[in-house]
Amino acid sequence: MNQETKAQSRVHDLLSASLGAFAAFCLITSPWNVDTEGPDPFYKGPLIFPIMVLSMMVLAALPACRRLFSPADGSSWRLDGGGYPRKTLMVLGLLIGMLAGLNLIGLEVCALAFLSVSLYIGLNLIGLEVCALAFLSVSLYILGHRGPFKLIVLPLVMTGLIVLIFKHFLGVFFPTPLIAEWIWE
Amino acid sequence: MWDNLISGAIAALTAANLASLVFGTFVGIVVGILPGIGPMVGMVMLLPFTFALAPDVALSLLLGVFCGGYFGGAVPAILMRTPGVPSSLVTSFDGFPLTQKGEAQTALSAALLGSFGGGIISVIILVFLAPLLAHVAANFGPPEYFAAGLFGVTLVVMANRDRMMQGILLLGLGLWFSTVGIDGATLSPRFNFGTLSLQNGLDIVPVCLGLFGVGQTLLLVERKILKTDQMNLTRSTLDFSKLWGTLRYWKTLIKSGVIGTFVGLLPGTGSILASFLSYEAAKRSSKRPQDFGQGTPEGCLASEAGNNAVPAGAMIPLLTLGIPGDALSAVLLGVFTINGIYPGPLLLVKEPVLINTLYCSIFMINIAAFLMLAFWLKPFAMIVRIPATLLAVNIMLISVVGIYAVNTRIFDAAVAVFMGVLGYILLRLKWPVVSLVMGVVLGEILETRLRESLSIGEGNPLIFFTRPISLALIILTILIVAIPLYKDRRRTTIERKPT
Repeated sequence: MNQETKAQSRVHDLLSASLGAFAAFCLITSPWNVDTEGPDPFYKGPLIFPIMVLSMMVLAALPACRRLFSPADGSSWRLDGGGYPRKTLMVLGLLIGMLAGLNLIGLEVCALAFLSVSLYIGLNLIGLEVCALAFLSVSLYILGHRGPFKLIVLPLVMTGLIVLIFKHFLGVFFPTPLIAEWIWE
Repeated sequence: MWDNLISGAIAALTAANLASLVFGTFVGIVVGILPGIGPMVGMVMLLPFTFALAPDVALSLLLGVFCGGYFGGAVPAILMRTPGVPSSLVTSFDGFPLTQKGEAQTALSAALLGSFGGGIISVIILVFLAPLLAHVAANFGPPEYFAAGLFGVTLVVMANRDRMMQGILLLGLGLWFSTVGIDGATLSPRFNFGTLSLQNGLDIVPVCLGLFGVGQTLLLVERKILKTDQMNLTRSTLDFSKLWGTLRYWKTLIKSGVIGTFVGLLPGTGSILASFLSYEAAKRSSKRPQDFGQGTPEGCLASEAGNNAVPAGAMIPLLTLGIPGDALSAVLLGVFTINGIYPGPLLLVKEPVLINTLYCSIFMINIAAFLMLAFWLKPFAMIVRIPATLLAVNIMLISVVGIYAVNTRIFDAAVAVFMGVLGYILLRLKWPVVSLVMGVVLGEILETRLRESLSIGEGNPLIFFTRPISLALIILTILIVAIPLYKDRRRTTIERKPT
């Protein structure tokens, strides 16, 4: 196979081995993770397909495991020269923060919004609106965008569109932020 | 047949359907033009909005993005040698040299005519071939379906055979994802690790949206702004006089359209292969093969006709067997099943109007995409100036809020983010993510058919070898694995031999 002849980054082998290990874990624990108490014979039961699939994964990971423990000459951990994805991780962190903010309190995300955009935010805006606004503004700032249009106008327009489409046009329910409940109480 | 086709045309011409396909095509062209985004991101981004729409309107919207993306991809490939979609790379072989010679309009005319012609030819083939294949598929039982599914996933893995083990791992992971949650046949919980949220399983929509809508855009965050200094269009619309000139390559157009449709029909082969094969066939039969690669409109036309015939070609196995040929048609399958429509041989009998509406919609999408690009060529081309990072964060936001909106469950959004991280890692490592998607999509089909087949055979796996169609498909599956591996091995042995 080509992949075995080419000296590629050991990161590939690490990921393959990790997936293989995960499959092995699921395979070993499958009797406890799958309810097999039904009257069906094994070939009709819920365990046959997962066992086949997980075994296939374990077998496919074996060559990578071998290479991981006895690397070929010239192999290294260098991936693509793209560097450490600092900005990507920051944006990802914000995305997770936005989800948490949407579900829990929105306080942290609100704080970020107040830091990045000095806007008067009414009580009825806290929740989806602030989360979206904060995510966009802070992400764009992290990604090197400057100026009032990109940091304020664009996030405001986009947030407005999202609220209009999802809340009013599609009528989607969004959880009431806890901070709003506290203040109302 | 003609009655259904007329009914389909009437349904396709309703205001809602027309608006949907025009909007979808517009989005498709935009995401196709933007390098690194592509039609898949556009489709998954619009996916949550489709749940509020009728099935035919929803499918027209997504088909618009699907086909429009391939139309748009040629523009940056010709003007900047930066393909908007991977398959447009072949278009740049001749398109960019033509631009350098000051003949960008000729290249764009040929590419647009190729896209349009390829799309139309593939729809015509779809209309006539789908009923024939459905007739054959009507004889399929569970073993045949399992064998066909196995053949499909094997083709997907073998399409990336330089990363075969990684493809198998991802396919396995996707198949395993499909087993998470309550088993439909026995109602037994599987791999929910004691959590209630996982009992409903991992839905295809958050998985696809995460892998492409979030994963692909996380990758875009690190991108630099494209240099657009070379973009030199003399006028804002297409030069129609050049368009008539490229009509002399009509034979190449038909041949490329047919090649593209049949490549699209095969699961996992993808539009790059369609472009490349069409280009090579055109080069071989050309009177001036030496011009290929130096800047000939025939090359642009062949490549674009090939890749734009793929969407309709990919619809053939999807509609007749319920087996998607690629990740894009897998998303379409998701829309079908969410609306309670199950593609297969009976679909053409049960839902003839819907199917014919789709045929007519694809036809009109090709016309809409052609007209949009012909009249707004320069404004569309200028889209590449939008910084990728600006788009990335907006797409991410829409994707995550959109996925929450489908079931109003934060868990789905969390799944999308998790899949986004996985997608980012896999895309950055250039692993074949399509294998993962195909696993998730085909997992349920394969498992159900496997268990049904074994039930028929009372547990004996020989059931797959005793039925002719199933046996033929299994032999084909073995051959598509064995032949390339044998050839690779032989090549390696020859290379290692001392000269």
